[in-house]
Amino acid sequence: MPARAAWIIVIATSVSLGSCSYQEVNDPVLEVPRRVDTEPSQSLEYDPTVPASPSALRKLTRQEYIESAVALFGDEVLVPPTSEPDFITGGLAAVGAGTTTYSPRGVESFEEAAYALAKQAVEDSGIRSRVVTCEPSSESDTECFGQIFRPFMRRAWRRPVTDAEVAKAVSLAGEAAAATDSVDMGIQFGLAFTLQSPYYLYRIELGDGEELGAYEIASRLSFFLWNTAPDELLLDAAETGALATYEGLRDHAERMLADPRARSGFRSFYHDYLQLAELDSLSKDPTIYKAYTSALGPSSAEETLQLLEYLTFDLDADFRALMTTTTTFVDPTLAAIYDIAAPTSTGFARVNLNPTGPRAGLLGHAGFLASHAHPTSTSVTLRGKAVRNILLCQEIPIPPVGVDTSIPEPSGTAPTMRDRVAEHLQDPSCTGCHLLTDPIGLALEKFDSIGRFRETDNGYEIDASGDLDTVEFDNARGLGQAIAAHPAFTKCMARTMMRYALGRLESDAEAESHIDTLEARFEQSGYRLQALALEIVLSPMFRQVGGVER
Amino acid sequence: MIITRRSMLRGLFAGGAVSLGLPTLEMFLNVNGDAFADGSSFPKRFVLWFWGNGVIPTKWTPETIGANWTPSEQLSALSDWTQDVSVITGFEVKVDNLKAHLSGPAGFFTGIDVKVQGDDSSFRAASLDQVIAQSIGGETVLRSLEVGIAPGVKGLSFNGVDSQNPPESDPVKLYQRLFGPTFTEPGEELKIDPKLALRRSVLSAVMDDANALRQRLGANDKQRLEQHLDAVRDIEARLLKLESAPPNFEGCTRPAEPVPDEYLTVDGRPPMPVRNAIMSDLISMAMACDLTRVVSVWHCDPVGDVLYPGATSGHHQLTHDEPGDQPQFNEIVKSIVSHFGTFVGSLKSVGEGDGTLLDNSVVLGCSDCGLARTHQIDEYPILVAGRGGGRLKTGLHVRSDVKDSASKVPLTVMQALGMPVTEYGQDGTHVSSGLSELEA
Repeated sequence: MPARAAWIIVIATSVSLGSCSYQEVNDPVLEVPRRVDTEPSQSLEYDPTVPASPSALRKLTRQEYIESAVALFGDEVLVPPTSEPDFITGGLAAVGAGTTTYSPRGVESFEEAAYALAKQAVEDSGIRSRVVTCEPSSESDTECFGQIFRPFMRRAWRRPVTDAEVAKAVSLAGEAAAATDSVDMGIQFGLAFTLQSPYYLYRIELGDGEELGAYEIASRLSFFLWNTAPDELLLDAAETGALATYEGLRDHAERMLADPRARSGFRSFYHDYLQLAELDSLSKDPTIYKAYTSALGPSSAEETLQLLEYLTFDLDADFRALMTTTTTFVDPTLAAIYDIAAPTSTGFARVNLNPTGPRAGLLGHAGFLASHAHPTSTSVTLRGKAVRNILLCQEIPIPPVGVDTSIPEPSGTAPTMRDRVAEHLQDPSCTGCHLLTDPIGLALEKFDSIGRFRETDNGYEIDASGDLDTVEFDNARGLGQAIAAHPAFTKCMARTMMRYALGRLESDAEAESHIDTLEARFEQSGYRLQALALEIVLSPMFRQVGGVER
Repeated sequence: MIITRRSMLRGLFAGGAVSLGLPTLEMFLNVNGDAFADGSSFPKRFVLWFWGNGVIPTKWTPETIGANWTPSEQLSALSDWTQDVSVITGFEVKVDNLKAHLSGPAGFFTGIDVKVQGDDSSFRAASLDQVIAQSIGGETVLRSLEVGIAPGVKGLSFNGVDSQNPPESDPVKLYQRLFGPTFTEPGEELKIDPKLALRRSVLSAVMDDANALRQRLGANDKQRLEQHLDAVRDIEARLLKLESAPPNFEGCTRPAEPVPDEYLTVDGRPPMPVRNAIMSDLISMAMACDLTRVVSVWHCDPVGDVLYPGATSGHHQLTHDEPGDQPQFNEIVKSIVSHFGTFVGSLKSVGEGDGTLLDNSVVLGCSDCGLARTHQIDEYPILVAGRGGGRLKTGLHVRSDVKDSASKVPLTVMQALGMPVTEYGQDGTHVSSGLSELEA
């Protein structure tokens, strides 16, 4: 395929990593230790012999459904709640969207939501001015209906629409207008048809067996960087062929990264990556945790998102600072948990925590500490498992059935959690997995189940020292530094962001080659997340697709 | 034999599209509308009632066998219902038990062990509620209804691999879906919304429109899209049903709308008895009004950590970490069993012909394991209520001392519902005879 060969050559000769302007990181709190691995860097060039993988039909995630509607109708639209939950596969809802099937209940709610959205389009004057671009003179004013639907359908379906497709919407509109004696009702039915179509409810990025089509690239790019449907500029670029060249794709990706919508797009990725949806249903026992309120879940998710947004866009910083920085964002709810003066009476503000205090980076965030804990106690296993699974992409085998997993109650001889879990760490049938998780969790024991700092457990001083894969540390801060320096941490980020962009797991061949190359390029960029996103867009995995079994 | 949803739908549309629009049931009712003209059969209903995190078998199993069983410690709340509920003990789900909390229900509800990939899991086939819905759910407004009792429950109702049905655990939303603007109470004038027909035209266009897409898809995606389009077709059929008069069942009245203040979670502890009572009444009325004939109730999820009043830890955590006789966990099981009793009582309170809604129903209750502490799936806890329109005996304690296959129960249930099935499960779970003790 000549076109494809040309593409590979362009990549191979383009060692430069784009032209983002990188802001110097001069925040003194951002200290990241050196990597501890001594492996030689992987090749910076993608191996062209790795076969491309097929791409799956992607359901819209809950957030994508909402943001797509906002892109179509404008900020003032009220997107009705729908009943299709996100399902997690490979750690991500973005991947689950490519493997699971819409439920009948979800489809039912999309039908209702389509009419609720269409109604606003004719009744809200602001939305109407954007969508209803022509006023039909009668129910048979097919030309005017067509003028409304053609651009709307192009935006909604993220591709040009055929005359027959427009005619179908026009015909439904005419039928509805005649039956109800209202051209507005006709418009609503035409719009509602568009919003129930599989062309709207799926991201169709299937390619031709080798590469994505230009509009499919626009869709993948837009949902990846902005978490919403492509804008007119991007669709136009697909139409003119601009996205088919390396430079064109790079220019658009850079334009999009510089756009405020990228902040919202990256927030969506971070939300998925760190499984922050768990915090929506956070529940703690307030009789034990006096500082707990139902605001903690949403506030703590926002803290993590704001810090990541700040590191990514305001500082364009080394991503590993996520684990070590004492800069964070708090509202009064979190300030109370962190025992600091609230910087504002409402909403969030950036604060610098005590640079030598116990709390630093993600491991000090109430959200991380609380969501990987029980309602009435901490859990060294859940916290350790979260670090292994989410941050290091390491799989912990599922617990065996038929094992009594209870840990002994606190006693005179075993007062602290460390004493109590010591049994797990001695029983050979438990150590295999619990040695991977529990020492990590024990390092976080000075934070209770809602993330408040404590020195003691049951009146006994907590020992938070340990080691992570032979790197020793004294406390949670030291663990954060050990994770930041762990070779699996940055590779895990590269792999996870790639999975998010593609909505699928990588093949074994891709895992062993392309992901390593991506990580090497990530390293070369100074581990900057915008650069990683750009690398992903320009990688062969982003646009090449293999054939599927029919 | 399993009837697939699609083949059934094809049958309906090829052979009987018109009959769908008629008030089918009313045609066959006697002049009073209180029973069918032949005096016999009200529709049969099926309810799957599931709770997570197992039991303590030594406190669960009644001491006496057969009729008039004496409630055990954990079944004490059923003392008023011993004539209505059968307890099935000593049976085993015959799968490898690879995944704690999921192998049991997967084996019991599908006959096949669960698919596990890292932290992700799915049933490999449609769950029992959906298999039954495909057979007996086609005539009602909703083919099946999935309800959660604990807030945010995810349930285990599957249409097939990686295709799960989310339960509704918000009572007001459930009320609106069942008894909102689309509901017509028997005796009320049927107001046909002219938009219903237009919405059907749109759904039809959506299905036509997908043809071009179908051509581009691989086998797996094609299957996913077909299931989506099946759901679209279901909505179309549902809207058509809303244009005909509802069946005139004597027990059907519009229930009161739930009041959120009554069931909201306080201090991290959801008021489970209240939530259960509200949902039970909405479900029994949905069946009394023939809005649906198949319901799955997901009381709490496997590994769910609901905080009960007075409990020092969440439900699941207590099953593992509470020492000794596990008094707190024991109380939770007793309370869940009382919720099952409340549900059975709700069905029994609705009159239907000479009997009650319960007489025309089969309620299958079970959990995800026997002994919770170690996730055993022998001593699988099973409860059966309702006479299935006369096909089932009730009020028995049936015990297997030889770890008989739990698959016998779903087979008996499906046969009692009139399904033409002669076997259930495959490989280790396969059985070709049911539980004769229960068969009337």
